[in-house]
Amino acid sequence: MERPNDHSDLATALAETRPVASEAFTRKLDKRVAAGFPRRSRRSRDPLSLIRDHLLVSGPGRLLFAGGGVVLVAIAVATVIFVGSSDTEQTSSGGLLNEVSRFSGSSESAESQPQPSEPPTAGTGKAAPQYESSIPQHESEAAPSRAASAGSVNGPASTSGRAHRDIERSAEIGLLADPADVADDSAAVFSAVHDAHGIVLRSTTTSGKRAGANFDLLIPSAQLGDALAAFSAIDEVRTRHEATEDITAPTVNISEELRDSRARIDGLLAQLAAAETETEMDVIEAELARERRHAASLRAQLDKLEQRTDFSRVSVKIETGQSSTDSGGAWGISDAFGDAGHILGIAAGVTLIGLAVIAPLALIALLAWLAHRTWIRTQRKRALRDA
Amino acid sequence: MSEAAIADPAAQSRSEVDFERLYRSSRDDVYAYAAGLLRDQAAAEDVTAAAFERAYRKRSRFDANRGSARAWLFGIARNAALDELRRRGRQAELSTDPVDAASVPAPDRDRDELRLLLDTALARLEGPERELVALKFFAGLSNGEIADVVGISASNVGTRLNRTMDKLREACDGAP
Repeated sequence: MERPNDHSDLATALAETRPVASEAFTRKLDKRVAAGFPRRSRRSRDPLSLIRDHLLVSGPGRLLFAGGGVVLVAIAVATVIFVGSSDTEQTSSGGLLNEVSRFSGSSESAESQPQPSEPPTAGTGKAAPQYESSIPQHESEAAPSRAASAGSVNGPASTSGRAHRDIERSAEIGLLADPADVADDSAAVFSAVHDAHGIVLRSTTTSGKRAGANFDLLIPSAQLGDALAAFSAIDEVRTRHEATEDITAPTVNISEELRDSRARIDGLLAQLAAAETETEMDVIEAELARERRHAASLRAQLDKLEQRTDFSRVSVKIETGQSSTDSGGAWGISDAFGDAGHILGIAAGVTLIGLAVIAPLALIALLAWLAHRTWIRTQRKRALRDA
Repeated sequence: MSEAAIADPAAQSRSEVDFERLYRSSRDDVYAYAAGLLRDQAAAEDVTAAAFERAYRKRSRFDANRGSARAWLFGIARNAALDELRRRGRQAELSTDPVDAASVPAPDRDRDELRLLLDTALARLEGPERELVALKFFAGLSNGEIADVVGISASNVGTRLNRTMDKLREACDGAP
């Protein structure tokens, strides 16, 4: 055997001695190729390997196309659901109780500037009591006004076993009117408030091209249903929301505190009657004055809570604009444009939210894929180097 | 099978003919490359079969603008071979497999000695060097095709091959 002397000899020797596959192997491989590389039975394979194979075979373009289709369908479904729920909310004309207490947070400021068409019957302040005059009994005073209130399903407050609840109610009603009818509708609102013995807290009426009106009202809870019916009869109802809030817990707490305070005042009065020295009487009187101020504060808080249950806050908004019935009930091209714009807006919103969710996940997946690919390449290079 | 192939029987036929032609022209070369790199007959058979199966499944993704079909096929085969090396996690040892009698046309003492000499010399090369030799002389790829497969320039392939051949010749001279 001659050893190869130069590159040419070596190349020839390498080509002559290159590894040759066995005939058995080539026959077997030929058969598999002819059969199109039949897969193993899918039953015997786990789902993960099937998915992996499918992803391996599918190109990135196909995956992108399929993913885009799924996202598109998801957006369409979400839009349909959203539009459906939105329409239901807008067209409901009564009985829909939303847990939205839009006015409960602003009740304190609203009460600071009332414009009563008729003075409220409850919640007026009480004069500070003197030595022998007894503090007004909360239960006995509150009972008559509450008994007339349908909004508060309540009787005397008790420490335990309270059978009734103090419910604050609020409502919002939106009316659609022609600009020329805004003044008449506003007058009708005032009339309805008067009929319901309610209070106008704030009102704004605008005439002209952007005509409209806003009313913040206090309506006796017992009259709320009738008042809302009267408001609804004024013009076309666009929106109507009602909300309730249970304020039983704060009412009970303050009632108990007031009762304790009264008990302390009674005790101090007894001590004052038994006091023998001037100094002792001064100390007790000072403490008595403090306790009475505290009791008055509690009384005021309780009055406000009672007013919240006795009176419901109602917001009436009169708006002008294109009515759905202006064209005689016929659905026209402008309505179609409006609806299309509405749906497109919702679809854009849903898409934006979807992107906000998907984009970070896609970014993480992309980074993970790149890291995995880099790691595989590094491992292959290392394997080749070590081979 | 691609959608175009399903819709158009002629396209399907062309697709199969292309793969068939690629298989017929490259089967022995892919095996020789895998065996030269792995120095393990069974592993080389597994890698060859896996490479053609992967190529068959991914044939619709072949892009002629990115290189020749052979270079694409050998890229797949190379990944399969390197994955096999990773799986083994050990340095490939000098082949101790019994020589397949069917693969040897006729008894030839000189050729057997030459084969043993080259095997010994190849074992002294590093993995990337042995891969270049396998791609060039066992698989018969051009420098340009090797460049596509390995991911370096064709001139770099030539330089490295030259250096590897020097090293291989020295290894042959130093062999007992």
